[in-house]
Amino acid sequence: MNFSLSKSQLMIQKSIRKFASETLEEWANYLDRESKPLPPEIVREMGRLNIWGIQAPAEFGGADLDTVSYCLVIEEISRVSAAVGLGVTVHNSVCLAPLLKFGTRDQIARYAPDLASGRKIGGFTVTEPQAGSDAASIQTTAVADGDHYILNGQKAFVTNGGVGDLFIVAASVDRKKKTRGIALFLVEKSMEGFEVGKIEDMMGMRGNMVSELFFNNVRVPKENVLGRVEDGFRISMQTLDIGRIGIAAQALGIGTAAYAAAATYAMERKQFDRPIGTFQAISFMLADMKTNLDAARLLIYRAADLKDRGLPFSTESAMCKVYASSTAMQVCMQALQIFGGYGYVKDLPVERFFRDAKITEIYEGTSEVMKIIIGNDIIKEFSRF
Amino acid sequence: MLSILVCIKQVPDTQKALFDPKTGVIDRNSADNIMNPDDLHAIEMALAVKDGYGAVITALTMGPSQAADVLGEAYALGVDRGALISDPRFAGSDSLVTSKILSRAIEKLGPFDIVMTGCEAIDGNTGHVGFQLSEFLHMPLLTQIHKFHVSSGQVIIERLYGHEYQKIRVDLPVLITVGKTANRVRTPRLADIRTCTDREITVLTMEDIGGDACEYGAAGSPTVVIETELFSHKRERELFTGTIDEKVDNLIHKLKKQNILRY
Repeated sequence: MNFSLSKSQLMIQKSIRKFASETLEEWANYLDRESKPLPPEIVREMGRLNIWGIQAPAEFGGADLDTVSYCLVIEEISRVSAAVGLGVTVHNSVCLAPLLKFGTRDQIARYAPDLASGRKIGGFTVTEPQAGSDAASIQTTAVADGDHYILNGQKAFVTNGGVGDLFIVAASVDRKKKTRGIALFLVEKSMEGFEVGKIEDMMGMRGNMVSELFFNNVRVPKENVLGRVEDGFRISMQTLDIGRIGIAAQALGIGTAAYAAAATYAMERKQFDRPIGTFQAISFMLADMKTNLDAARLLIYRAADLKDRGLPFSTESAMCKVYASSTAMQVCMQALQIFGGYGYVKDLPVERFFRDAKITEIYEGTSEVMKIIIGNDIIKEFSRF
Repeated sequence: MLSILVCIKQVPDTQKALFDPKTGVIDRNSADNIMNPDDLHAIEMALAVKDGYGAVITALTMGPSQAADVLGEAYALGVDRGALISDPRFAGSDSLVTSKILSRAIEKLGPFDIVMTGCEAIDGNTGHVGFQLSEFLHMPLLTQIHKFHVSSGQVIIERLYGHEYQKIRVDLPVLITVGKTANRVRTPRLADIRTCTDREITVLTMEDIGGDACEYGAAGSPTVVIETELFSHKRERELFTGTIDEKVDNLIHKLKKQNILRY
């Protein structure tokens, strides 16, 4: 067992940390305050750096990195701007990754190079106003019509919705078949009848253009079905297993940023003639923060490593996601407490970390759904009947 | 196509490193090793020449085997060839002997149209190597370069010289030194970082560059460090209270008193 990062993983961590602090940091507050997406020149530069194709093969313009390296990239970006980290992780892990894994040669040739270079931004959408954790109850329909399917319905809380060019959309081809009737479609924003609804005015992650999407008789060619028609739900669940590792890395990034800010402040801020960090009440808080972040980090790297070795990682992915997201929330709360009044005002980023952290317990499967996944695994393991 | 060699050095990160308070010597285990910051700007200058005019870039470093890490970083940035001079007989060389070793390695690996170095290294801060190399290599030296244009066998160089901004035309080959303000170092592509540690590195020893052991290392070095002393800046923080006008008046008064603001 080796707990050390490799030379190239350390270089990736250092390099993305530098990029994030030199390029993204100056935008992070602006994106949050104004609820604006990254300017196109930075999206392009991120494309040059392979950030939009972290694990895509080199032949499509990607960096072909392992999943631990992928987590390092997401963590470092999210330390500076969780909203940018969100856009990157969703694009990579739940749009480009399933395209590469389940797509036909033609689909990959058509879409992967543009996605891996960031010329096109991707998203993935199952959630609807009435279908969240109960993903099988989606109302969006796809009706076969010659060489096409006709999509009708509405999607909600779509990450990258306002800026995306290509979305993997779950729709029901046969409601009676429930999960076996759900198919996935590669839908381009330029297709007639595709409409971006309102951009959500959110508590955090405000730099990501999370939106509604509407499908009004959108004609999607049958060649744009991802995987087999009846496998849409299964592919979605597998895709989310991968996505959760990225969200956990994002939560880790937010928590690490809050912890580092709080520890620095605690050693600078003096009350009663000594740095507040030297009071046991504060140093115990910092000790908990550091310990829990490290535990989250190890859970994340283990899930990533299992994935890379081709072993089952669904439970481990759920475990790292539920732990990292609750740790991020807890750490941000403690960081804000350490900053006192200064943590509550918008002059410092701690309140942004706090607002950004909360959603990591909700999206890509709520913490409760993560516990269902872990619980089901335990039931399977210990059930005698 | 132009042929460029960039000298780079692995140094302890002196911003994080601890110093022995008695001897003043850096505790090399107290901080990570990094590429000398000025050298990164020299690489960036070479890459800009490569982007603009086409060039093959060789990065050269000297040190123990772990110094190869900076060659990996150079590869990730876009350098084409990496060479490491590594021989225990070179340990303890001062800047003069280091320059002699580098110049012999450059002659072995060359010829080169342009040799680049950083202005100085953060561990020794002598700034000698660029000057000494130009003597050993019989190449004209231009320091503190900001811009570099190539046209028909000549280069036009822009440099800061005191309060002047000079534009100089010079024949190749030339040796230049590059400082921190010359450019902004690019971030390497992730794909290039992934492959950089697998790239081949040419290793040179004394047998490759020639000479005798007594010329090298501490024995061959005329420089003797008699004493190293630490000095420290002490910062004091003072909070001014009152209205904005009062705070500004107070600050101006304070700065004048310390002769920082004179008018």
